[in-house]
Amino acid sequence: MVPRAAYVHVPFCAHRCGYCNFTLVAGRDDLIEPYLAALQRELSVIDPPCEVDTLFFGGGTPTQLPPEQLTRLFELVLARFPLAAGAEVSVEANPADVDAARLDVLSHFGVTRLSIGAQSFDAAKLATLDRNHVPADIVRAVELARGRKLAVSLDLIFAAPGETLAGWQADLVAALALAPDHISTYGLTFEQGTQFYGRRARGELRSADDELELAMYVAAIERLTAAGFEHYEVSNFARPGCRCRHNEVYWTGGSFHAVGPGAARYIDGRREVNHRSTINYIRRVLDGESAVAEVEQLGPEDAARERLVFGLRRLEGIDLAEFHRQTGFDAESLGGAELAHHIAGQRLVIEGNRLRLTREGLLVSDAIWPDLLRE
Amino acid sequence: MPDCLHIRNFSIIAHIDHGKSTLADRFLEHTGTVQQREMGEQMLDDMALERQRGITIKARAVAMNYTHAGQEFELNLIDTPGHVDFHYEVSRSLACCEGAVLLVDAFQGVEAQTVANFYAAMQHNLMIVPVLNKVDLMHARPDEVIREMEQSLGIDPDDVLRVSGKTGLGIEDLIAAIIKRVPPPKGDPLAPLQAMVFDSHYDDYRGAITYMRLMNGTLRKGQKVKFLRSGRSHEALELGQFVPQRKPCDLLQAGQVGYLICNIKELGQVHIGDTVGVPSSTVADAVPGYQAPKRMVYCGLYPSDGQNFDELRDALTKLSINDPSFEFEPESSDALGFGFRCGFLGLLHMEIIQQRLEGESDLDLVQTAPNVTYHVRTTNGELLEIHNPQKVPEAGFIDEFLQPVVRVNFVLPVEVIGPVMKLCTDRRGVYVRTEYLSPTRAMLVYDLALAEVIYDMHDKLKSVTRGYGTMDYELLGYYPADLVRMDILVNGQKVDALSIICDRRDAEFRGRAVVKKLKQEISRHMFEVALQAAIGSRVVARETISAMRKNVTAKCYGGDITRKRKLWAKQREGKKRMKSIGSVDIPQKAFLAVLETGTENK
Ligand SMILES: Nc1nc2c(ncn2[C@@H]2O[C@H](COP(=O)(O)OP(=O)(O)OP(=O)(O)O)[C@@H](O)[C@H]2O)c(=O)[nH]1
Ligand code: SF4
Ligand SMILES: [Mg+2]
Repeated sequence: MVPRAAYVHVPFCAHRCGYCNFTLVAGRDDLIEPYLAALQRELSVIDPPCEVDTLFFGGGTPTQLPPEQLTRLFELVLARFPLAAGAEVSVEANPADVDAARLDVLSHFGVTRLSIGAQSFDAAKLATLDRNHVPADIVRAVELARGRKLAVSLDLIFAAPGETLAGWQADLVAALALAPDHISTYGLTFEQGTQFYGRRARGELRSADDELELAMYVAAIERLTAAGFEHYEVSNFARPGCRCRHNEVYWTGGSFHAVGPGAARYIDGRREVNHRSTINYIRRVLDGESAVAEVEQLGPEDAARERLVFGLRRLEGIDLAEFHRQTGFDAESLGGAELAHHIAGQRLVIEGNRLRLTREGLLVSDAIWPDLLRE
Repeated sequence: MPDCLHIRNFSIIAHIDHGKSTLADRFLEHTGTVQQREMGEQMLDDMALERQRGITIKARAVAMNYTHAGQEFELNLIDTPGHVDFHYEVSRSLACCEGAVLLVDAFQGVEAQTVANFYAAMQHNLMIVPVLNKVDLMHARPDEVIREMEQSLGIDPDDVLRVSGKTGLGIEDLIAAIIKRVPPPKGDPLAPLQAMVFDSHYDDYRGAITYMRLMNGTLRKGQKVKFLRSGRSHEALELGQFVPQRKPCDLLQAGQVGYLICNIKELGQVHIGDTVGVPSSTVADAVPGYQAPKRMVYCGLYPSDGQNFDELRDALTKLSINDPSFEFEPESSDALGFGFRCGFLGLLHMEIIQQRLEGESDLDLVQTAPNVTYHVRTTNGELLEIHNPQKVPEAGFIDEFLQPVVRVNFVLPVEVIGPVMKLCTDRRGVYVRTEYLSPTRAMLVYDLALAEVIYDMHDKLKSVTRGYGTMDYELLGYYPADLVRMDILVNGQKVDALSIICDRRDAEFRGRAVVKKLKQEISRHMFEVALQAAIGSRVVARETISAMRKNVTAKCYGGDITRKRKLWAKQREGKKRMKSIGSVDIPQKAFLAVLETGTENK
């Protein structure tokens, strides 16, 4: 299957937030030039150019690049991934660095969506989260995006240290007041290697308790769906017609290209992940070596199982007939006794031709997935 | 070929870590048996596990030639293990010697195993050469320790040699003292062959290698020999001595220590304590001093996926070939399926066997908590030997429940006598006596249930005495006690592999600790899980694991998919390895939860 989606990883941020373990370098804008050179080199193998329906610039923070370099980024990417008519082009942005000049570049090159790392509308919570922006930056960024007819998505974090349920409700209200088209919400996690992980280990930070985090998650689902958003994936909500088409490619087992440090691509059942260290990535690619660090070829059954699990993370679930057509496997026999067990336990349900999570199932879904996979 | 007058056979005995193997190195070096450039540390500890743990597990013999005062001598040294679990190795080594070098660490002083080994050597009528070792240590307290040796063991201070196994100081005088003090072996090279088997090990290529001490007669390569107890005759394919590797020779004579290789493919055919003679000999003179090793501790070993029963049996069989002190028999458990009940000399031995099993085969095992052997006299007069709590009959059929009691010798600094006595009384120990070894150190003797000693005595002693207390024990016998079987129930279903036998008065306390520990080990399920400890139908402790409410990963985009899938697939494998009881998944580690002593005090 020829990919019709592409991801570009832009590994630059002004500063590294305490909870973040993404592939990026903070305060190393001197690496932007070599990065662009390496990216161009990596992209040169996409020959002939590959037309895409969705293109996603993630990071890091793509908007960390100054307008001139942002322009060159788009030029070299679009040269290899020309846009089909009606293509969706998303760019992640940090509220602190969204400005008119950068947005002009984005709209010039056909960007359709701005995904803003808002995280919260509470200055104290933003400080706890070690973010370098203030609530007013979010409002300004949304207005600028609107002015250029960009669809707006907001990322929100809940269960930050010390956060209350009421505080989180206020964040949801503030987010809805800006009338975004799309919202992604994440419970804060303490990933190994992050500053927060160490601080928690030393007892300086405490993670929210399970019950509170559960209440926050449920509150988000209730408020956002009541405001007319579809809860279409575990952590994603969209106004009708405003889902992120690019992310849907990931969740429905579609093929996609990916370039940049740490980027992962999936083409013909083969997954490849690039070197995660930005410096190594640049050095290797400019030395003419491969950017790829890991390769994995999935057999048909493993691919089907993966498709089942990630498909089920979408709340509308999977269409059994389509699943069979796509993978060659019958979902129910693939899931076997374990699947039947979860259906009996009302964590999964078959309705008409669809298999999907129930509300109870959604909340404990990570305990379901192991049963549907094989090592 | 040396005559008996020029042979000296001796063991090195001491408390664990007092430097036996290091001193053996100096012997090898000083006698030129091993060239200096080939010298390693603790050369005789050549098993992988010995090197890894830095302790001696198996006794090793080595023959050395040495010229003293113009005469050639053959010195046969046996390095012995210091840990109490392997004490039987010491006693069988002592039976082939005329002397024993008793080491005492110049800093640590006399300790529990020093006393135990000293008395064992006395029982064998050996000439004891007392040595104060590690005199190079900065904090050595030589005069005090010599006084301890005098007071506790009745050793004449003038007889004590001062040595450092590390620097080699005093080694020459020590060898001279051994030659002078240890009597040469008696025995007649011309008499009929009589050799005593004191050890054996299995070599994949050569089969059984028999270690012997020749009491009388001469053994020649190629001659026919008979193992008198088994009655089997064999050809002596190879004989020789350890230097320390095997060095073949053509004949061995009365007084010498060496090895014999026949074509024996099963170690089970070689009995420690047997006598090797000529085929015509009929009467085997009983060889004195051998105690068959006693299994003190039992536990269940099960293949974790319930599948590899045959593989586990093969692995256990292979191990028991090399270590006959370990035994096993098949058993089954509702919770764990088919496995084996295994008997060990002690906890260290158990740990070592388990480590070897894991190292030498790649089996994934579930181990149940260790227990001692109990005796039950039933109401119809039968005496049952119980190796597994499941085998305890219903209360109504028990006339008497007996448990092994050991006499424990503690050697400790006097200021901790109080706390250690409290430790013992808390465990219903019976005080026997106190002896002062010096103004600062004492030996405290208590009779305690072996189960108590195994349960947590060692750890408690180490913590109460900050590492300065040591203990040794020997079995006194079986005595009646108020014992019960405590069962553990998971959602109302009994988990047989978690049952334990304990004193009725401890049941509640132990039960609480166990269910609390289980609560930590068992992860949340989709439903509530009740954990109970019960005696018969009476519940003595309970805990509840509430149902899982939230378990959901938020982010999952292109780059996360592989990692997440792998993580979940791995969790599935982990779950498959757990034991499922009434649809509750119990991790392997939980089966040791019954060892939990709890943080609360008794
Ligand atoms: N300073 C000093 N250290 C020594 C001396 N002899 C042995 N040691 C150290 O003491 C420790 C124990 O030595 P080993 O020779 O293994 O003792 P062992 O008695 O054979 O021990 P087990 O066989 O386990 O009972 C090692 O760390 C040695 O390096 C000595 O004369 N002086
Ligand atoms: S802005 Fe986003 S990508 Fe950059 S460090 Fe913060 S969380 Fe990570
Ligand atoms: Mg040793």
